[in-house]
Amino acid sequence: MEPQTASSSAPPMDDIVTVRDLTVRFGDFTAVDGISFQVRRGEIFGFLGPNGAGKTTTIRTITTIQRPTSGSVVIDGHDIRNDYLEARKRIGIAQQHISLDKDLTVRQNLKQHALLHKIPKSELKEKVESTASILELGDYMERKVESLSGGWKRKTAIVASIIHDPTILFLDEPTAGLDTRSRHMLWDLVRMLNRKGTTIFLTTHYIEEAESLCDRVAIINHGSIVAIGTVDELREKIGKVAVESTDPDGKTVISYFPTREDAKGYTDTLGDDYFNVRRTTLEDVFLELTGESRGKLA
Amino acid sequence: MNNPLSILDETYRVAWGDLVYMKENLPEVLITGLIGPLLYLLAFGYGLGSGMSSGSGAYLEFIIPGIIALSTLSCTFSTVAMKVLVQRLFYMSFDELLLCPVHISSVILGKTLSGVIRALMSCTIIMVVGHLISPGVDIDPLVFVVIFIAGLTFSLFGLLAGMLTNKTQKLSLFTSIVIVPMTFLCGTLFNVSALPDAAAYVIYLLPLTHVSQLMRGIMLDTGIPLDSVVILLFYTAAFFCACYYLIKTNRC
Repeated sequence: MEPQTASSSAPPMDDIVTVRDLTVRFGDFTAVDGISFQVRRGEIFGFLGPNGAGKTTTIRTITTIQRPTSGSVVIDGHDIRNDYLEARKRIGIAQQHISLDKDLTVRQNLKQHALLHKIPKSELKEKVESTASILELGDYMERKVESLSGGWKRKTAIVASIIHDPTILFLDEPTAGLDTRSRHMLWDLVRMLNRKGTTIFLTTHYIEEAESLCDRVAIINHGSIVAIGTVDELREKIGKVAVESTDPDGKTVISYFPTREDAKGYTDTLGDDYFNVRRTTLEDVFLELTGESRGKLA
Repeated sequence: MNNPLSILDETYRVAWGDLVYMKENLPEVLITGLIGPLLYLLAFGYGLGSGMSSGSGAYLEFIIPGIIALSTLSCTFSTVAMKVLVQRLFYMSFDELLLCPVHISSVILGKTLSGVIRALMSCTIIMVVGHLISPGVDIDPLVFVVIFIAGLTFSLFGLLAGMLTNKTQKLSLFTSIVIVPMTFLCGTLFNVSALPDAAAYVIYLLPLTHVSQLMRGIMLDTGIPLDSVVILLFYTAAFFCACYYLIKTNRC
């Protein structure tokens, strides 16, 4: 499956984000190289890639923090260059680096975010309380952010990002630094927000997180999108059945096949050697398509 | 939506966090803003000034407006510049301003508001002290207008420096080689007409010179120099436009 490209000037109604030929350069370095894709309204969209692949730059550009070198981004019908205020009203973002004012308390940070996102002053107190309770921030509300652990800072940042009920929420590595319980709380939050109609754009290093949460996944490498689709579509791309075997040097080799029959034909040739037939995972796809392959395609 | 009232509302929304911080740390904010100017008053007014042939009283009258002028710079530039730099590079919270649906003008005014308020508070205290020790120094409502404009100008300058600088050391260096000399040389503590022509010309181009001249004109009732009004407003507009450009083009 080839990366999707836009075919008309007006975004289709079911696309909340339309990225066309987006390029971002820093001097001679091209961080994002002419990518095009769409995010559909109401989906959880995963954005995977190795370190330095261009994930964060893409998110920062789509959310108007970073200026694109060329190309266009349309958020819910609003071009980020010409109509950035309207685009920003629809966006929530929890960045990879925690962007809170550490001189202020948790409550003050949340109130600051609510103020910046034009929540009426009469609704501020209730909005801050109710949103904070989603990730159980209650006991930490009067603590200075500076004094919080990394996990609580991240939770505060995530709560801040949803305080204005964004139409699309960008989560850049949201579970980095969270313990297992907090991670599951966040997954529940993502699913709950999504059920309520919020589109989620998620980058993560945890492949199982993308596999369990995302409706569709894009894989970016060296600034280009190398694959996009549902997890099943991506598995089909390299073969849905994986055979793990050991080469004469004792190294694990993984081969991919379209069907179990094809895989059986291969395992029959392995004789008494150890092998394991299993379902291809998103991690296999990721490693194959980002050039960090452990295996070979059939 | 882009009307003055919405800009004012947005300015408050942007400034809220900085104002809360200032309110919670008011003693420190005032002390750090007042120590320097009050020491100048003591050292140059009573110390050095008492030995001058013109008499310490006259010199006190001369330097009080100058010290208020230099306070509009010292209370604003470093505070705003450092706050913005820390929020940009260390807290990353400056990004939130680039993500929220408020006008660029509101971001600029919001980030300078705490500097302006700090200047108004500190200068008012110095002015009252100055009036008590030298009654010939008038407290005129126009002075507050000048403090407001000067505080805004130097806060904008601080915002600009905070957005352009990528290291605290560079900001300190800039403060040492530009701000501190300006503090002393722009007619705050002595009359620039005593300087060689070339130096006087350079100093005439600097904004603090005109704040000093305006303060002295109003407080000593010697008339308002219109060229100073124009030049100061030119700097205000120039710094505002530079800040606007940096934010608009995501260069901060």
